[in-house]
Amino acid sequence: MARYIVSRVGQALLVLWAAFTISFVLLQAMPGDAVLIKFQNPEYGLSAEQIADIRAAYDADGSVLPQYVHTIGNFVTGDFGYSLQAGVAVSAQLAANLPSTIRLAGLAFAAAAVLAVIIAVLSNLSGFGRLRSFIQSLPSLFVSIPTFWLGIMLIQIFSFRFRLVPVINPGEWEGLILPVLTIAVPISAPMAQILLRNIDEVLTRPFVSVARAKGASHAFVLWQHVAKNAFLPVLTVAGVLFGELLAGAVITETVFGLNGIGSLTEQAVNFQDVAVLQAIVVISAAAFVAINLAVDLLYPVLDPRLKTKLGAVS
Amino acid sequence: MGISGKFKAATVIGAVLMSLTSSAAFAQDAAKPVQGGTLIYLEQQPHTNLYPPAGGFYPNGGVLNQITDKLTYQNPKTLEIEPWIAESWAVNDNATEYTFKLRKGVTFSDGTPLDASAVAKNFDTFGLGNKELKQPVSEVINNYDRSEVIDPLTVKFYFKKPSPGFLQGTSVIGSGLVSLATLALPFEQLGDATKIVGSGPFVVESETLGKELSLKVREDYVWGPAKIEHQGRAYLDGIKYVITGEDGVRIGALLSGQADFIRQVQAYDEAQVEGQGYKIYAAPTRGVNNSVVFRPDNPLVADVRVRQALLHGTNAQEIISTLFSANYPQAKSIVASTAQGYVDLSAKLTFDPAQATKLLDEAGWVAGTNGIREKDGQPLVLTAYESPPQPQNKATLQLVSQQWAKLGVTLNVLAGDAGSRTVDDLDPAKTPVSPAMVGRADPDVIKSQYYPKNRDVLRQKGGPSDKVKSFVDDKLNGLLEALSSEPNREKRLQIAGEVQSYVLDQAYAIPIFEEPQAYAGAPYLQGVDFEAVGRPRFYSTWLAEH
Repeated sequence: MARYIVSRVGQALLVLWAAFTISFVLLQAMPGDAVLIKFQNPEYGLSAEQIADIRAAYDADGSVLPQYVHTIGNFVTGDFGYSLQAGVAVSAQLAANLPSTIRLAGLAFAAAAVLAVIIAVLSNLSGFGRLRSFIQSLPSLFVSIPTFWLGIMLIQIFSFRFRLVPVINPGEWEGLILPVLTIAVPISAPMAQILLRNIDEVLTRPFVSVARAKGASHAFVLWQHVAKNAFLPVLTVAGVLFGELLAGAVITETVFGLNGIGSLTEQAVNFQDVAVLQAIVVISAAAFVAINLAVDLLYPVLDPRLKTKLGAVS
Repeated sequence: MGISGKFKAATVIGAVLMSLTSSAAFAQDAAKPVQGGTLIYLEQQPHTNLYPPAGGFYPNGGVLNQITDKLTYQNPKTLEIEPWIAESWAVNDNATEYTFKLRKGVTFSDGTPLDASAVAKNFDTFGLGNKELKQPVSEVINNYDRSEVIDPLTVKFYFKKPSPGFLQGTSVIGSGLVSLATLALPFEQLGDATKIVGSGPFVVESETLGKELSLKVREDYVWGPAKIEHQGRAYLDGIKYVITGEDGVRIGALLSGQADFIRQVQAYDEAQVEGQGYKIYAAPTRGVNNSVVFRPDNPLVADVRVRQALLHGTNAQEIISTLFSANYPQAKSIVASTAQGYVDLSAKLTFDPAQATKLLDEAGWVAGTNGIREKDGQPLVLTAYESPPQPQNKATLQLVSQQWAKLGVTLNVLAGDAGSRTVDDLDPAKTPVSPAMVGRADPDVIKSQYYPKNRDVLRQKGGPSDKVKSFVDDKLNGLLEALSSEPNREKRLQIAGEVQSYVLDQAYAIPIFEEPQAYAGAPYLQGVDFEAVGRPRFYSTWLAEH
């Protein structure tokens, strides 16, 4: 087990290094750079000589390899540099934005899971065939709603028309209701879909018939026997969905005017703010790796059959 | 009780007296300003670096205008320069020496005095830059040499060449005075609003980077511009800026009572706002009009007849009636009719497709395959990048493109990321056409726009672009140099007129409309005014309900 974790952490570090290097190379290959975008901008009206001086001061035309070594050295020591566009340390930007994104993403993920379970349960408990097929088609509907449109519609209806929740200066938790819903709806769709299919599949297994023959109720069978078996694939998908969660955050934070990694990314991409982008790439990669590691470690907890396999390795 | 204590007591008494007199003056008025309340201001974009010369960017100007004072005040109605932190000034005959007498008792919000040495340090930085701290030079200060502190309240500036635009330059948004502590910080750290210490009527209280900024009133503020009606502290208790990127969300929030004032209202939303009793503020920017400019270094637009043809083939009237509103007046010159030195040249800007066709024929561009004009086998296909900060710029360029298509000329309008846009825009071969505008209420603005060592919109050789092969217009540059260094005001305005004529005769630019900065405010919001280039000043603003 310990060896397994060590090798997984090793892989994680490799992934982080690769993410850093690839993003560094790609950002270097893009036309223009942050210094050019910032200072060539008419807002400053600088002369050619003045721009050349500034470029020299930022070593914008220096050779790539020393810059790479320098930057990676700084990253290892936790120094992410300065955002050229915003004029503050990247670490300060992250401190201001990371916690709110984690909160938004965490709540949205939980809400999506609840939504998926509700859909699955309703679909299996409802007696009527027509209602059942309606509920089963909900995931397809949810996944095809654009996040952007959903956010705007929720704001227009609940904030501007009925004035239930303010978008500007809301209370700390009040302000999260609509954004969480906006992200949760599309994220819940694949989860619900997989849950529904797995439940259907598990229900056809022989042990379900045995349980029923023993006199268990439908609800009892569903909860005690089917749920456990149906959840495992959902967990796998959950790890992958994290990426979508980040993408959803970019749009949602922009629409709702929330601060967070999403809106920070949008700004940084617009201005090719390399230092900020690199930090975001590395942090996202780290989060991705950590979540997938957690998912892998959770498998044996949920499914005892996997425990013996892992045991054999360690 | 130390000196500062006595000073404080004096200012408190002064403030009380002033508020008494001003409330007496307002007593006859039905609308008496109410003190208190926090203004909720929705901005489209977060501010960037708040180094004062970067104040030209509207989100930055909207913040700096509240927290910094300037040496002089430009009356937005008359455009005259009036006293502010400087009580009086003297300029020598050839505008190479400026002496300012400062107002007594002005302090920065960190308690340090705003005296001659602070002013000297500010302009040394803005005029020369600071290489060590990476602080760049200010665009509005030309030919700066050095400063001299004559006594604690008198400062003198020397220029290498005549610099008649300097007096107005001390009043602009890029010349906000900040404390020595702020100037000692490296450029990279000036994006943190809490580090910008000014002497203005508001002080930065707190900031959530990229999302919110709170200002609070400075109670002891008694040094507003001497000639304006309102004196003493600002009426508002505070201002809260909330970054709200979505146009629809800003307008919805205003109309549903969640905000008091918003920036960037598109022309197509104006009717909705006004229909509900809310107010549109279209502040003029008094500078170079929203235009399309050419890069004559590109052989396709090197011939003046081609440029003239495109000028006469552009229907500005149609663009305004299709995309904009009455708040966007049609351009009558390269500068706005509210700009200094403006001359009405609408006779040179006629929409005349017949003339355009004739000019293109004369220049040897004849209809080829697909209806696109050709010369020596080369089609007349031009490219421009949209400029996202300008109102509906993409739609504007696309409409221009449709109008030119009727002449047999193709204009491709590209969006592109900031990097490609910036790189390609430097190369006349890639972008022979570009949208352009800049605001500043001084004739120097024309030089800022066209001179190769400033914004260089025509892309001349010797400018910031190394892609330009040969294009230089010495006559234009000579006129621009004269414009920025002619000490005689009358002569200077006359040169401004000559430049406008020359640019249009050469058809370097096709001016389209006078660009406003459009804001919207709640009906209970009173006393909003704007500096000469359309950035809001909330010093005299008050909330009738809060």
